[in-house]
Amino acid sequence: MLNAKPTLKSTLVALLYLAPLLLIVGVFTLWPLLTSFLMSGYTHYNYFTNHVGGFGGANFSYLWHDPNFHLALRHTLIFVLGVVPATVILALGIALLLNRITWLATFFRTVYFLPFVTATVAISLVWGWLLRPDNGLINLLFRTHIDWLNDPRYALGAVIMVCIWQNLGVNIILFLAGLGRIDRRYQAAATLDGASTWQRLTNVTWPLLLPMTVLITVNAIVTNFKVFNQIYALFHGTAGPGNAALTLMYYLYQQFYVENQYPVAAACGVVLFALILLVTGLAALYFHRHAWWEGRR
Amino acid sequence: MKYLRQLLLYGLGALVVVTLSACGRSQAATSTTRPVTITFWHGMTDQHKATLNHLITQFNRSQTRYRVVGSSQGDFASLQHKIMAGAKAHTLPTIAQTAYTNVPTYVQGGFITPLDPYLKPGALKDVYPAFLKATTYRDRTYAFPFSKSARILFYSPQLLKRTGLRVPRTWAELSRDGQKVHAQGLTGVAFDQSFMSELDDLIAQTGTPLISDQLKVNANSPAALKATHVIYDMLQQKTATTAGTDGYGSTQFFAGKTLFYCGSSAAIPIMQASAPKGFRWQTAPLPSYQGHHATSIAGNDLVLFKSASPAQRRGAAAFMTFLLQKRQTTYWAQKTGYLPLTKAAQRDTKFQAYLAKHPTAKAANQSIKFGFQDVAFRGYPQYFMALSQATDQMTSQHQTPEKAMGRLQRQTERIIKQNR
Repeated sequence: MLNAKPTLKSTLVALLYLAPLLLIVGVFTLWPLLTSFLMSGYTHYNYFTNHVGGFGGANFSYLWHDPNFHLALRHTLIFVLGVVPATVILALGIALLLNRITWLATFFRTVYFLPFVTATVAISLVWGWLLRPDNGLINLLFRTHIDWLNDPRYALGAVIMVCIWQNLGVNIILFLAGLGRIDRRYQAAATLDGASTWQRLTNVTWPLLLPMTVLITVNAIVTNFKVFNQIYALFHGTAGPGNAALTLMYYLYQQFYVENQYPVAAACGVVLFALILLVTGLAALYFHRHAWWEGRR
Repeated sequence: MKYLRQLLLYGLGALVVVTLSACGRSQAATSTTRPVTITFWHGMTDQHKATLNHLITQFNRSQTRYRVVGSSQGDFASLQHKIMAGAKAHTLPTIAQTAYTNVPTYVQGGFITPLDPYLKPGALKDVYPAFLKATTYRDRTYAFPFSKSARILFYSPQLLKRTGLRVPRTWAELSRDGQKVHAQGLTGVAFDQSFMSELDDLIAQTGTPLISDQLKVNANSPAALKATHVIYDMLQQKTATTAGTDGYGSTQFFAGKTLFYCGSSAAIPIMQASAPKGFRWQTAPLPSYQGHHATSIAGNDLVLFKSASPAQRRGAAAFMTFLLQKRQTTYWAQKTGYLPLTKAAQRDTKFQAYLAKHPTAKAANQSIKFGFQDVAFRGYPQYFMALSQATDQMTSQHQTPEKAMGRLQRQTERIIKQNR
């Protein structure tokens, strides 16, 4: 049956099975995407009456000349660069350690996973306390008196810190799943050949874990490019002091919901989409090439 | 037999006709007596919501023609999002609570309708001028005043006594007080997350508002810059502070770190509930500047949506008029900290007795006579954002008023030009 040649009837039957999902994806993903792309070109647009005065690149030109958009773009790139590598490396390290212990492993997995399933607002409230300049735990630990959330020099750093912590849990679980799938005989064979722990890690574990690393990295890039909730909750509904934590997603929100500049918000969405596509594509390409070279060795 | 059958058939037919027509009459009678439903979206929560529900119940009991169904949409931001989505999806209620500064956007969107045809002539004549100006846009009444608050000064009498100071009457006095207590480790005054409202007040006190009724922008006029320097200099000298991520300056005020707190009168019930045990506080009108008093009135109004039927529009007007009556507006003011909207309510002996018993409510009521509201125009939300950023840059990035207000001037002029 699986090897049967596809016919018109079998294709129609397959389409029928796929129809519910296609309908949902079409209505809730593709249609809004198409509408956003179209709206990004509207000029003199009345959102409520759907009257379109013209079509052109004026909204992208607005973004090009808006210093706040430049700021948001810069902050987003800094944020992604700050969060993604740190999350992936830390998650991998913790997963490797958890994979070696058997005692209390489930407990630690649960502890690390908790931030992922906790509401962002609750997390932000707790971090708000931890980051307070007076008696905040972070300042006590570092013996500093930094006003993390109200000083523009540290505000973005505080968000990066919170997001690394929040993203760790799910990535550890994914890495553990990847590690669990690696056949133990490879490790045993390498040990018999006299490979050290580091050699086993770099020559056995890492190459075999690469597909999972690609998945985690791409997922982290996409998620962190769209950071919004943590900023909104940490800074009491603002983009931080002096827009210090203004990201592209936050800029989009401001343009749409606060300033009623709907086509500008759509144009920002298109830029964000293109950026995510580009960076994700580059990351996937890098890993693909890397895997290919590994394979040829 | 044949005749008998025919007779029975005719009789049965007549019975069916009579029964059906009776049912029809009964249905018609029911439909004329059934009250018209007025749906009402608002942003009131907790105690304020309970107070509003009480007023809605009172209105529904006071007559039989209309039935108001209130629906809280959460906070004001969520309410605005819901109105936007409702306008787009054509699922708006009959009326909603919203800021009058949204009216130009709603008019442009074509989904609100003027209240004039449904209000009795002179329905708003007793309303304070401070609230009245915001009700009209392009010579039509679109917004009906409802939940209005004033900026006031909160202070701790114990702290004032300890520092040997009195309630400041001018901004210069407030600034001097800040310098005096700075040496004692205290900050003079705490603002909320932004000092936008206080800046608006100070500039209005120079005699020229930030934006005139003719939409002339005065952000970087010499008088406006001088007024801006009052707060900016205090922030630089650390004799004033903003709430930052605390959101409201009351946190620092209750912690005993600041001598005064500039806040909204609508916060009074919340402050009463959250004040530390034994912490006594009082209120006063905001200080004057250059011999003038001016206090910005904030809050929300009620608007009527175009999608409402004629009967619903009449019912909405009846409900709004009901809310404006002396008994209702004073009840609302006493329970929520919002302002009573009419002069009759203010003169009411029971309300005066309430003020005598609750002195914290006095300052806001005293401020009504010099209250003012910003002019509404298309692009106001963009201007509001630009003003917020200008004050934020002066606070957190220490940008000079000349630079921040100069940029605000250019931004606002561009916004007004683009939205003409």
